Amino acid sequence: MIYEELAFLLIAAVAIVTALNALLVRELVHTILWVAIFFIDLAALYFLLLAPFLGVLELGVYAGAVTILLLFGVMVTRKRIFSREAATGIGPAPVALAGLSLAFVLLGTEELPQSGSVVHSYDPALLSAQLFNADGPWLILLGLAMLSALAGAIYLVREGRE
Amino acid sequence: MSAFSPAGLLALSGGLLAIGLFGILTRRNFILLLISVEIAINAAVLNFVYFAAFSGSASALSGQAIAVVLIGLAATEVAVGLAIVLALNRLRGSINVAEANALKS
Repeated sequence: MIYEELAFLLIAAVAIVTALNALLVRELVHTILWVAIFFIDLAALYFLLLAPFLGVLELGVYAGAVTILLLFGVMVTRKRIFSREAATGIGPAPVALAGLSLAFVLLGTEELPQSGSVVHSYDPALLSAQLFNADGPWLILLGLAMLSALAGAIYLVREGRE
Repeated sequence: MSAFSPAGLLALSGGLLAIGLFGILTRRNFILLLISVEIAINAAVLNFVYFAAFSGSASALSGQAIAVVLIGLAATEVAVGLAIVLALNRLRGSINVAEANALKS
């Protein structure tokens, strides 16, 4: 369908532009606003790929929670919130490395079929069964990782630690 | 039911990975480093969702299950990263990663 191709091209362009802007803009608060737009754009891409559960999760976890956490981190570490970052000189080596990796990936995609392949929809109930099934209890493992991260974060920020 | 070319989708996630890598290598602010890592992780999660969507069999849903777990893990990583930011800010008064050299003595 031509409309879906156009929607994908629009979403891809917005994703690239917002991600680049987030890293190139000088004020940290503007960076976080750009990255929030980037996450909302990715959620739109998940909806386009017929994965609505992941789209909702991306909106809730990234565009909601992570953005607010990052803003909070900026708030508590600065005296003035809208202060500019010192300019960092961008050396040629990182740009060359990022460009090389991009060229490598783009050359790899040349091998793939360029014609459209069909995207399948699914029943979200099957996904929840997959998340809780016995041979891969993903959500339980995720919960254990989050619990240990919670303990580690509390240890890092508690008062009186030297 | 819709159709996309895998090449375009993979080029998008490759581009996002390159942007994240560029940010990790060039930025000195810890929060910007965290954002760069998030962009790179999101590029990886996109790949899982693409291939789960294209495969079409029932077992392909494990791709989406892995994507759910990765999104949760990335959020956890941001929480721990911000705890490190707060500790670094308290100890050094700055969140510049170039100044966090306490292990060099």
